[in-house]
Amino acid sequence: MIMVRVIRLGLVFGFAALVPSLFVLLAGQSPWRVLTTLVLYAFGPQGWSELLVHAIPLTLIGLGVAFALRAGLFNIGGDGQLIAGTVVSVFFAPYFAGWGIAGLIAFLVCGLIGGAAIAAFVGYLRERFNASEIIVTIMLNYVAVQMVSYLIRGPMADPMPFWPRSYAIPPDCVLPVLVPGTRLHAGLIVALVVVVLFAIVQRQTAFGFQSSVFGANPGAAAYAGFRVKALTIGVMGISGGLAGLAGAVEVGGIYQRIVESMGEGFGLAGIAVALIARLEPVAIPFAACLFGIFFAGAGALQRELALPFPLVWIVEATVIFAVAALHWALPGRKAEA
Amino acid sequence: MDPLLITGILAAGIRLGMAIGLSAIGESASERSGIFNIGIEGIMLSAAFVAAWGSVRTGSPWLGIAFAMVIGLMLASFHALMVLVLGVNQFISGIGMVIFGFGFSSFAARLTIGARPISIPGLPPVDLGPLTNIPVVGPIFFGQSPLAYIALGLALATGWLINRTALGLEIRACGESAEVARTLAIPVRARRTACILFGGLTAGLGGAYLSVVQVHAFVEGMVAGRGFLAVACVMLGRRRPLIAFLASLGFGLAEATQIRLQTLYPGLPYQFLVILPYLAAIVALVIGHRNVERAA
Repeated sequence: MIMVRVIRLGLVFGFAALVPSLFVLLAGQSPWRVLTTLVLYAFGPQGWSELLVHAIPLTLIGLGVAFALRAGLFNIGGDGQLIAGTVVSVFFAPYFAGWGIAGLIAFLVCGLIGGAAIAAFVGYLRERFNASEIIVTIMLNYVAVQMVSYLIRGPMADPMPFWPRSYAIPPDCVLPVLVPGTRLHAGLIVALVVVVLFAIVQRQTAFGFQSSVFGANPGAAAYAGFRVKALTIGVMGISGGLAGLAGAVEVGGIYQRIVESMGEGFGLAGIAVALIARLEPVAIPFAACLFGIFFAGAGALQRELALPFPLVWIVEATVIFAVAALHWALPGRKAEA
Repeated sequence: MDPLLITGILAAGIRLGMAIGLSAIGESASERSGIFNIGIEGIMLSAAFVAAWGSVRTGSPWLGIAFAMVIGLMLASFHALMVLVLGVNQFISGIGMVIFGFGFSSFAARLTIGARPISIPGLPPVDLGPLTNIPVVGPIFFGQSPLAYIALGLALATGWLINRTALGLEIRACGESAEVARTLAIPVRARRTACILFGGLTAGLGGAYLSVVQVHAFVEGMVAGRGFLAVACVMLGRRRPLIAFLASLGFGLAEATQIRLQTLYPGLPYQFLVILPYLAAIVALVIGHRNVERAA
């Protein structure tokens, strides 16, 4: 039995190492050099802060995906909800000028509401009309991309547009930089607070318990008298709200306006983060940092080894498959998703 | 409206819906056997690239299409391995496939045929001689690519196989209740594997259609949700291949209409028109999916 587990684990890890290496080799590079480049970059003068900068939105989105997945809901709309968050927060940002710290909080809350609104709507469609939340969230991703493309060229355009982007947010809504000379901003604190909050919600509150029961056995949840419809809408709303918050944090911390294709692919990466962390809130920041290395280091790989950025997605997919196969390798552990 | 305009939109609608339709045929067989493949999008992306690369390399679009079918089969067999052998959640495996497709197609394209669209040897429409010249009906039904007729044949054949043969009955049994099927000594895993592989094959054809027939180039992310639309069509068609195929042509029609509207109303921001097929999918799911068992 032990031997079977060891062999299976070996197969899973072998697969995880082999697939990205294969593509690196096909591109004429050495996987070892990729690894050393990434590690050197991550612990270099720029890298550590850049990996954290990328880990911030990934943590928030990953938490949202994990929360929904625990309730048996697949939220693949992180990209669209992130965009909704940026649009709503930037739309109201001018009204918060001069509010100080309250303006910053209001700005972030607007992002949360933006993402939550469209995700809760998806939850409603699922409960009321039995429409698959997987397909609807994905369709809304494409809609959101087009809508933001229109907005930053039209109603929300920069008064002096050099390229398509929105007007700038007032200084009150900007998340301050934590470490001078880097891009590491106060979004890190926001993300960590949310992680702690979620660990508590998941373990200590009736809502967290009910959503987990619902995910594990919807029939039992209904039998126990949980308000299943409200639960679905609430869980989807919270999940999307976190992606929307990630959008506001990206605007407030880095761009200070909406820029075309900002945060692209974070939604899908958030799914990978949630799965690696095995849906455990406390583990999510660490999983996010792992992908932060890839996202931040991809630039270095492109510059130094001429490896195209999409390698990150190949790694992401491989990791998803490998983590999903873990419960096959370790049958004693409960399969979480 | 101008009849010529309507003829044009209908012909274009069939052309634009075909990539979705091809994928929907296999996906409906797969779902009939009880296994979702939400990763169709990723398979189509990979296939679109491989078909483009194969056509450029060999100079033959047919060889490119053959390569695309092979990659479709390979990726689908991986999905089958994950879901049927390792017991991985089918939606998680599917999402992994989507991300892999994005990564593989863009990574490989940038290293080989270049990220910028280059023209590839495409597949010309079949020449049916005088039939094409029949007004209205001619351009709509007789001016399509050979793959379109193959797709129609596949849709009819798959529908017949699932609904009218003993094998189809076994497949449906697997989808209705795997346990009952097992007690009836139906090889559930073998039937499901076959259906998943068939799904990969048609998704490969769908991806190839996109790059080799429709666009004559590979562009990163060019599938643009058509794989997910195919899954939506299968839900709308309640897993019946022919209905799912026809629903796909409906989305093609929505696409053709929005493209035509862009030229008719240049003042309207084009983004509001581009989203029409996606909104149509949401509306269709809301209206059409009410009494079907939940997909996820």
